[in-house]
Amino acid sequence: MEMELVLLTQQIMNGLVNGMTYVLIATGLTLVFGVLHIINFAHGEFYMLGAFFTFFAAKLLGLDYISAGIVATLGVAVLGILANRFFFWPLRKEHEFTVLLSSLGLALLLTNGGELIFGADPKYVASPFADGIVPLGPVIVTQQRMLIFAVGALVLVLLYLFIQKTRMGKMMRATAQNPEGAALTGVDIRRVYTVTFMVACGLAALAGALVGPTAMIFPTVGTWAVLKGFIVVVLGGLGSIPGALIGGLILGVVEALAGGYISMGFAQAIGFSIIIVVLLWRPNGLFGAARRA
Amino acid sequence: MMARFLPILAVAAALVLPLATSNTYFHHLLVLWMLYSLLALSLNIIVGYIGELSFGHAAFFGIGAYTAAILGMNFGFPGFPGLLMAGIVAGAFGFVIGYVALRIEGPQFVILTLGFGSIIFTTTNYWVDLTRGPMGISNIAPLGVGAGFELSSALDYYYLSLLLVVAFAYACHALMLSRTGRAFIAVRENAQLAASLGVDVFRTKLLAFVVATAVAGVAGAIFAHYLTVITPEVMSLNYMVAILIMVIVGGRGTIAGPILGALIYVGLLELLRATGALRMVIFAALLTVSVIFLPGGLVSLWRRFADRSTVRTARQAQVEAGE
Repeated sequence: MEMELVLLTQQIMNGLVNGMTYVLIATGLTLVFGVLHIINFAHGEFYMLGAFFTFFAAKLLGLDYISAGIVATLGVAVLGILANRFFFWPLRKEHEFTVLLSSLGLALLLTNGGELIFGADPKYVASPFADGIVPLGPVIVTQQRMLIFAVGALVLVLLYLFIQKTRMGKMMRATAQNPEGAALTGVDIRRVYTVTFMVACGLAALAGALVGPTAMIFPTVGTWAVLKGFIVVVLGGLGSIPGALIGGLILGVVEALAGGYISMGFAQAIGFSIIIVVLLWRPNGLFGAARRA
Repeated sequence: MMARFLPILAVAAALVLPLATSNTYFHHLLVLWMLYSLLALSLNIIVGYIGELSFGHAAFFGIGAYTAAILGMNFGFPGFPGLLMAGIVAGAFGFVIGYVALRIEGPQFVILTLGFGSIIFTTTNYWVDLTRGPMGISNIAPLGVGAGFELSSALDYYYLSLLLVVAFAYACHALMLSRTGRAFIAVRENAQLAASLGVDVFRTKLLAFVVATAVAGVAGAIFAHYLTVITPEVMSLNYMVAILIMVIVGGRGTIAGPILGALIYVGLLELLRATGALRMVIFAALLTVSVIFLPGGLVSLWRRFADRSTVRTARQAQVEAGE
């Protein structure tokens, strides 16, 4: 194959893998919005905690990478339950600005608390897959990146089945449509809140555990994560899980191409440029339903 | 009766406040308080009156600051007309961005303004020829008319910004009693109903957005002249969040709220300086606690107190029904 074409394929491949990271971050964000109508600014912090918990579970408990990642995901899912109990559930009847500011407060608390406890210096999550290489024809992908892609796809399928097939999933969908109506028919709204936050925070942490070995981690990485998450969620449509999948992959690929062919600085701003264009064309995103009155 | 004299008392107190000490650091904090008050009052028009949450407001503050700095440095533009130009340029950006973004509402509007803000921040960082990039612009001349009259001390800037805060607060008060102000509230409460009564919803929102961004630009210009240094940092997410905190913790949709919020922001961070590394953690905790227990902001405490101690007049009841 020609050199140009190989380069292009490699860029697209990198973009798809980065995109899958964005998908994992955005899925939890869109779930919380779709079911509970909450914009959670602290979502990125759970991503950060997932990466740091993996690091410390490996270092302090002597676990291997995969066990450490699972422990971190479960640990952060429990934190998600606590976050809901103290920061979101008590405000369920308040104005949306109040809830949003509460989540901002939580984000500040976790970032600064993280800096205090973990230290501001970057850390590196060790993984046995970080250096292994998988050749796919002319392009090269590391094993870690293949793992990100495979786990991401698996998790999305499981989440889809959970929401469509299980009793809890049905209760979540009912709450998304009409919380009062759902409560009247016997849906335990409190449990729906708890489970939604548990799943969303667990997903963010899983993303952190997976992405940790491909980049340095530091306590302020949550802001980066939540911004990417928002771009994807708005691009795909707030509350739409297929939207998060398509939106995340599009963002990953466009960023990789812009970074490769234009400039890295431009790649930072391109995400927001895309959503401005998309929102003007389709105000509810690519897959969004009309906003509830 | 009390309520009528309270603003006059507050202004009188603000006038004599800096005379309490000759400590220049204290004066510096007072200037920051006033400039942030002006900024928070301007964001309050969008958040409190038309009820949309803008995350891009710090960008207009930055545009005003950079306009004043660049006009002064590159074109030798004098200070006071520069303030006006800063307001006009920021307002023009506000017009274009508002024209695009205000077609969308709710959570999407939040993210869209965050997007515009981030693009302006990134552009400022990378357009080194114009803005000198992350280094920022330094040695900005102090405000003045020629060489004879210059604002040199923090005290001068305090009184200038106090004047602007009082004027703008009064303008907000007058606005809320006017037809236009009532249109703002009608749009916030129920846009469809407002439209059915003949309010042009989009134009009303755009007007509010442009006024708010222009005032933010003026505040930014004074900020640049006062500090004599400006970096893209003033447009960063930290600043966007900070202004929002002032408005909502103080009390959105009121005039005292944003001013109080700015005082809390400046004062609290200063008081917490002694706690060292714990500073931001304590600040975030206090912020979150105040949001959870006082969703209406600090001014709602006063309202609770006033409700209990006085018999409600018909007018008060009317004001509350309006909210």
